[in-house]
Amino acid sequence: MKIQGIKHADRGVGVRDHQLILPSVVCSTHVSRRIATEVGAITFAHQNGCGIIGIDVSGIDNFFIDLANHPNVNSVVVTALGCETIQGNELNDKIAQDSTHYLVIQESGGVEGTVASGVAHARELSAKFPGTVADLDLLTVGLDLSRDVANLAEIRALFAKENISLVEATQRSGSAANFSSLMSQKAHVILSFPDENQPPTGFPLIPVISIAGSGALHQAIISEFDLASSASAAEILDCVIAIANGKKSKSELSNNGEIVAPRSVRSV
Amino acid sequence: MSLTGYKRSNGEWGFRNHVLIAPLHQMLSQSARAIEEAVPGVVAISHDWSGMREKDFDRIAKTLSGILVNPNVFHTVILAIGTDIESEILSLAQAHAKTPFTIVTLKDAGSLQALTELGSKAAATALNGAKALKREPAPWSAVVLGLECGGSDAYSGITANPALGVASDKFVADGATSILGETMEILGAEHLLALRAITPEVGQQIIDVVARYEKSINYEGIDIRGAQPSRGNIEGGLSTLEEKSLGAAKKAGNAQFTGVLDYADRPPVAGLYFMDTPGHDIEQLSGFAAAGVNIAVFTTGRGTPTGSAVIPTIKVATNTEMADALPDLIDLNAGTIADGTQTLEEVGALIYDLILRVANGDETRAEIGGHHEFNLSRLYGSTL
Repeated sequence: MKIQGIKHADRGVGVRDHQLILPSVVCSTHVSRRIATEVGAITFAHQNGCGIIGIDVSGIDNFFIDLANHPNVNSVVVTALGCETIQGNELNDKIAQDSTHYLVIQESGGVEGTVASGVAHARELSAKFPGTVADLDLLTVGLDLSRDVANLAEIRALFAKENISLVEATQRSGSAANFSSLMSQKAHVILSFPDENQPPTGFPLIPVISIAGSGALHQAIISEFDLASSASAAEILDCVIAIANGKKSKSELSNNGEIVAPRSVRSV
Repeated sequence: MSLTGYKRSNGEWGFRNHVLIAPLHQMLSQSARAIEEAVPGVVAISHDWSGMREKDFDRIAKTLSGILVNPNVFHTVILAIGTDIESEILSLAQAHAKTPFTIVTLKDAGSLQALTELGSKAAATALNGAKALKREPAPWSAVVLGLECGGSDAYSGITANPALGVASDKFVADGATSILGETMEILGAEHLLALRAITPEVGQQIIDVVARYEKSINYEGIDIRGAQPSRGNIEGGLSTLEEKSLGAAKKAGNAQFTGVLDYADRPPVAGLYFMDTPGHDIEQLSGFAAAGVNIAVFTTGRGTPTGSAVIPTIKVATNTEMADALPDLIDLNAGTIADGTQTLEEVGALIYDLILRVANGDETRAEIGGHHEFNLSRLYGSTL
């Protein structure tokens, strides 16, 4: 299956051309949102980066690296506070180097200085590292299996036949947790089967295609889904190809979905 | 200086009159932000909870329900999916206070766009009501002061923290409530705080809460005394966690401890309390907000921009160098104590006056900058 993708200098071919403003700590999430709003980039709020211990230190570090190195990303501005556990400069060293800029609030004159500098650097990176149209030879689709899917075997078989790579996440703790795992597996697009009692949800950076279940909640909010519960494997494939080629999914249009970073240990 | 505020129907007082936009599911966080943008003057929170009955559900329910009815909130617009688990949270909230709610559910609205429109309309109406309400003279017992420090350095324990202690003592002596948090940051100083407990039982609770905390971290195979102070603290001149703790505890002055609170629990009577919270700045502030704290002072050595969604949060710098370098983060500089230009008592009096001015309506740097973070605190993993 040939997809018209977007080639990024350091990250391979993706299906979207996003700039990421990555707060490496909770303290810089507001500054990141101000920068992102100003330049039209993607950012997200989270509560990590400080007060974390044990396996979460490397776990969160790796999660941020996966986000920043995702193929749907063209460039990254990392915003740090300065005194936190996950040091932004060390994180920065592990992200595609040339197209990443690193900023520290405590060393940039505070909030206003950081926002001004972040906006300038974000614009510079966008100009210097534009995505270019390129064929995507191997599309990777992430399957969020938050509920049982009747035609799963059929979907797997059809996607395999079309030479689409499938990665899967099967936790039953809300789709958002599965999305994080699928992101780390470098899914270009996510196909989500949310729990019958859960709304469809999105993920920054990755288009999420949601397929409704037959329960009352999903039927009451059916317009938030990309596909009805009756969608066949062939219809699902068609939708995936259209979205991968640039059509916006419902979650992208509503821009909803918070990132759930994988945490194992309490904050100190 | 006199004190003014907004009296709530349960007897609590607010020093702000917020219209709060609160999503009960992570998927609605973006709608909350959209409403905040569409209706200038309202304040929104966002979080990552997916409405699942996870291991930390009780803690999450307590935090969410508590902030919905913080006394600084005039009216809460609740964005919900329309599930039973959300009803449990609303019932918990209503047990604390009769804060007016407008509940908009996705199930009834039919789409996110319709929900955002309904929420914006409700928020605009509520904001008109909030603006019409006048402040009235408030008693000292109206003050529920939150004491916090973050990004500590070697100056924290000799400048900003003891100066805040002077102010806290004065409020407690006048019948107000003051809450010290951050269990990690009294570790090594708990025996000294226990001596100040109003009864031996409360003293034992202080000792027990620290022991429980250290055990919960040891359980993860980690020695907290090795993992802390943080790198930023060490660069700021702190050598051990005990040293950090001895300085951090000074925020609570010398008053007697009336009681120990679990995370996000509301204090039953006035007095000085210790609350079992993480040291994580926002998890702590969110626990304070849920407990009904209506004003907070946050001392910092390295400088931090963060604030709370509903609590005006005053930043006090521990050193003049940082206060000068990061002026848009800092409300008051206590570094003058180390400079030798002001005494501890003088700066304590300045903090006291600033708390009154902010309670009476002056905006903090964090409020001016729009910093109103909110997080849910979990004791287990994010997906358990």
